[in-house]
Amino acid sequence: MNKYLLAAGAILALGTNAAFAHITLETQEAEVGSTYKAVLRVPHGCDGKATTAVRVQIPEGVIAVKPMPKPGWTLQAKKGKYDKSYQLYGQAVTDGVKEVDWSGGNLPDEFYDEFVFRAMLTADLPVGQKLYFPVVQECGDAVDRWIAIPMTGQDEDALENPAPGIKLTPKK
Amino acid sequence: MVDITSKPVGRIAGGLLRLLMVLIVMASTSQAFAHAALIKTDPADGVVLAQAPTQFSLTFSEPVSPLVLTLVKPDGTPVALTSFRLGEQTLEIDNPQTLKSGTHVLSWRVISADGHPVGGSLLFSIGAPTEPPAVPEAVDWPLRLSIWIGKVLLYIGLFLGVGGAFALAWLAGNGAAGRRFVTAAILCGLVAAPLSLGFQGLDALGAPLSHLAQPVIWRTGLGTAFGWSVLAALTALGIGLLSLAGPRVLARPLALASLLGVGLALAASGHASVAEPQWLTRPLVFVHGIGIAFWAGALVPLGLALKRQTAGAAAFLRRFSRAILPVVAVLAAAGIGLAVIQVQTPSALAGTAYGRLLLGKLALLVFLFTLAAVNRWKLTASAEAGATEVRRRLTRSIGVEMLIVLAIFGVAAGWRFTPPPRALAIAAAQPASVHIHALEAMADLSITPGHAGPVAASMIIMTGDFGPLDAKEVTLVLSKPDSGIEPLKRAATKPGDGSWRVDNLIIPVPGRWMVRIDILVSDFKMVKIEAPVDIRP
Repeated sequence: MNKYLLAAGAILALGTNAAFAHITLETQEAEVGSTYKAVLRVPHGCDGKATTAVRVQIPEGVIAVKPMPKPGWTLQAKKGKYDKSYQLYGQAVTDGVKEVDWSGGNLPDEFYDEFVFRAMLTADLPVGQKLYFPVVQECGDAVDRWIAIPMTGQDEDALENPAPGIKLTPKK
Repeated sequence: MVDITSKPVGRIAGGLLRLLMVLIVMASTSQAFAHAALIKTDPADGVVLAQAPTQFSLTFSEPVSPLVLTLVKPDGTPVALTSFRLGEQTLEIDNPQTLKSGTHVLSWRVISADGHPVGGSLLFSIGAPTEPPAVPEAVDWPLRLSIWIGKVLLYIGLFLGVGGAFALAWLAGNGAAGRRFVTAAILCGLVAAPLSLGFQGLDALGAPLSHLAQPVIWRTGLGTAFGWSVLAALTALGIGLLSLAGPRVLARPLALASLLGVGLALAASGHASVAEPQWLTRPLVFVHGIGIAFWAGALVPLGLALKRQTAGAAAFLRRFSRAILPVVAVLAAAGIGLAVIQVQTPSALAGTAYGRLLLGKLALLVFLFTLAAVNRWKLTASAEAGATEVRRRLTRSIGVEMLIVLAIFGVAAGWRFTPPPRALAIAAAQPASVHIHALEAMADLSITPGHAGPVAASMIIMTGDFGPLDAKEVTLVLSKPDSGIEPLKRAATKPGDGSWRVDNLIIPVPGRWMVRIDILVSDFKMVKIEAPVDIRP
């Protein structure tokens, strides 16, 4: 009898843990005005289906993006205009990568993988706040959008599909 | 007068009176349900607003015109709202003043196309809700009784008075029995018609009986559809009186014109006349009214002629009994047609106040038809032949018929206070609507029908400043946290008319549901907007 109760408890605990299986960033804190290596951790597919594409949106204030190629995946960096001009090593930068796509791959639900890019976090980013990198995970026809950003005062844990984010710390 | 003092008749009369009281009480339990149903309000009922709105809007299921609009402040002081614009079915009301925080009541009273006033109120709060101010919304019983009595007296004038004048002119030959009664009935109608107009005005404005003398009451009453009925009734009654008192040559055409006027007066207003399809209902009401006047009007002159054994009595009885069968057939057919249109489903007969009144009327009719049939097939032949005893029985029977006819008038006048099941069904089918407005996006959501069960949801999505928003995906999420119901999540489809739809949705229980609309604006951007919506049982 106790065994069943334990089993039931374990199932319940696992059930609530499902919320942890989001797409997240490995390093959860970074200094503004520095280079950040973003490692997107993809722990599962969409409802059991294999992941076929991961697309990440680069937020304003993040420049000089360099994604890391992955064997078996087609890498694409979509460029566009920034909202304002940024200084990079003494030069004004007004456009650059706004979205990175890894597509055409096949990551079964039972396997884990990471998707990496490097970027410069400009010094104008607001220290103490969180910076979000919305991610769209595609699994053939199915889509999971990790794009929810909490409104001020809203608890991030309450979101169904939170966007991965990092906390911005002051430059040392 | 007809002999109604004999004991069995008295007992029947007492029973009928009791039945009538029961029916009136049954009818009164119905609340002021709408014929023009309120579909949507802005602000929505029960919302808490950050700031006072600059205007209010009320949307109805059919065109209405406003009678009284009042804003009751949290401390209970009423403010009359006089500045408004009337759209197709939407009433936009300006809010003339800055409102303090607390719960306000917007009380409205409008008149719908059938001439019957409809009222209600909605609550909204500014800042935070407080104890809502008390708004008197009780039924004004003295006024209701006055309206009812006015209506019964008007029926007496139209049916017994004008109908009686017609019987005297066309059926009675040279007989004049009942002439005084018919004249009295017409005079009674001539008094009741304008009084009814005043009562209608009082009811329309929600004013008590003591305000009857104010000119605005009469102007308002005349402005409703009932005003036309009263004008037609007064004309019919006047012509009826002329046919009695005027030159003998003109008596017949005048009586006929007057009888047609009765039909017109009845067809001009009321539940039955505004029911769709009107090309059918209005003529049915017209024919029904003329039939009643022909039948009921002849009863008193005929009864009195038989009682007094006048020379023309036998001829009168013969003419009446020859004409009555087709008249009753048409009368009954029209009545059945109207009942089917109004009641729609058999279950509404017992389930609504209107249906119960109809059942009461039918019971009285069965009684009446039985008596009439006995008169027609058992007594008439011998009475025509001149059997005195039979004539006495026939007279008594006609007296009872008269009482039943009066009881039927009473029941029919009770319909003034009960919306027909047809109107209730229209109201039930109205969607539950909500306008959700956020900074980044807004939506007009309507759930049809707005009660628990299988429904369809339709959404119009716009940007926060009323611009077009070409969403990539829209998802409707319904939840009811207080009932422990997990969110129902449905992806919406685009039927191609600019809206988003969710079909085959089932809302399991009525009450206040939270609606969330997830709008995928772009690949990486989702806007979620949320608001409560009330689902009717």
